[in-house]
Amino acid sequence: MSSVSTNDIRIGMKVEVDKEPYLIIGNEFVKPGKGQAFNRIKLKNMKNGRTVERTYKSGEKIDLADIEEAEMRFVYKESDGVVFMDEKTFDQMTISNELVGTNSQWLMEDTVFHIVFYKGEPIEIVPPTFMEMVVTDTPPGVRGDTASGRVLKPATTETGAKIQVPIFVEEGEKVKVDTRTCEYVSRVNP
Amino acid sequence: MLAEARAFFAARNVMEVDCGALVRCPPIDSNIDCIGVDQDHGFLHTSPEYALKRLLSEGIGDCYFLGHVYRKGELGHLHNPEFTMVEWYRLNIAFADMIQETCEFLFLFFGKKPIRILGYREAFETYVGINYTEISLPELQKLTSSTWPRDTCIYYLITHLIEPKLGQGELTVLTDFPPHEAALASVATKNGEQVAERYEIYHEGVELTNGYHELADATELRTRFTQKNTERAAEGKAPYALDEKFLSALKTLPECCGVALGFDRAMMVRHKLKSIKPVIPFAWDEL
Repeated sequence: MSSVSTNDIRIGMKVEVDKEPYLIIGNEFVKPGKGQAFNRIKLKNMKNGRTVERTYKSGEKIDLADIEEAEMRFVYKESDGVVFMDEKTFDQMTISNELVGTNSQWLMEDTVFHIVFYKGEPIEIVPPTFMEMVVTDTPPGVRGDTASGRVLKPATTETGAKIQVPIFVEEGEKVKVDTRTCEYVSRVNP
Repeated sequence: MLAEARAFFAARNVMEVDCGALVRCPPIDSNIDCIGVDQDHGFLHTSPEYALKRLLSEGIGDCYFLGHVYRKGELGHLHNPEFTMVEWYRLNIAFADMIQETCEFLFLFFGKKPIRILGYREAFETYVGINYTEISLPELQKLTSSTWPRDTCIYYLITHLIEPKLGQGELTVLTDFPPHEAALASVATKNGEQVAERYEIYHEGVELTNGYHELADATELRTRFTQKNTERAAEGKAPYALDEKFLSALKTLPECCGVALGFDRAMMVRHKLKSIKPVIPFAWDEL
């Protein structure tokens, strides 16, 4: 397995620690005037998102994680998972409902997801940052509400995503959504 | 502040010396690496220590250097490969008086602060709750959750548990280092224990200075340098050639104390910053 020296660790690198894949989110150089140097490294577990801090002797080697990434198009849902197709190889694969998790609210035909693999197994699926979808259910906006500063109302989209939209948005309208925050970005002109 | 620093020395009749940055033999330390220039021109100095000591041996008297020094691979919020150092030497001065003068220099940056002298042993007892010479290696490894050798564990405890606590609202003078941490300091017996006459001063958790009662024993230094080179080799680093001109000059080195101080760090703490980058015109990753 290839490895990297703590001196060459950069934010964004993916490493393997205790048989788990981690993303480097910080690397601080700590050194007493006349002593051993250390690197205090902040890591985010790529499977569960938990952040940990580890201190290494400067120059110690850390294994690089066997990470592959692919762009995969959503094809259809099955009972035990979701089928995606690799944009390059056209290979199809089923990803478990468990891993898809709350991302099921962004499953829409022809949408290309970014999928991260660790040792060949998918560990994370990321929807496009912005998606366009039709609002299928939202209560009518009440004009008076703006006075109290409430300018947003709940809405459900065609994919089942629960988002917040401005009160002027009506059912059947197409909107642009930020999938990271479930927030409305803009209306999309038909 | 550069002007104030120079005025501090002028008022005390300490002469400024402008040492060249190019050296043939780099100072030997297992944990400091030099930037090599090319095969014909040696290295950039990591401190002006050898040059100043040679001048002291030739009789220059009290002197200081204020300028840039270079260290390979040191980059972080407290490190830049090129940084500004003040280093000065005082002849026939008591170790305690040298500490006092260093604190007075630091007052230029922070105003007057209380001074606390803290022994290395006491620091471990107070902040880690251990007797650092008695504790077993397995216990040390447990404390640091590591498989490191003894020295590495000790350095970890200093940098992670002790240093952040030092110099809070005061200047903490860490002293009485163990003999193997002497570097170029002389070793004395204190309370039945061998201690290096070396001190580091901290303010707000940041190490600012490193000072010695200077060792003039060339034979002892040769042994220490050889030891440092062995440690370098063990880490897979190239050994450095011994500076014979420096070693032979030590024969006439007068009784003196010396200290080196990180100017950028002092500026950083003065302005309550978390990194030295804003006080350096263009730090390494801004070039």
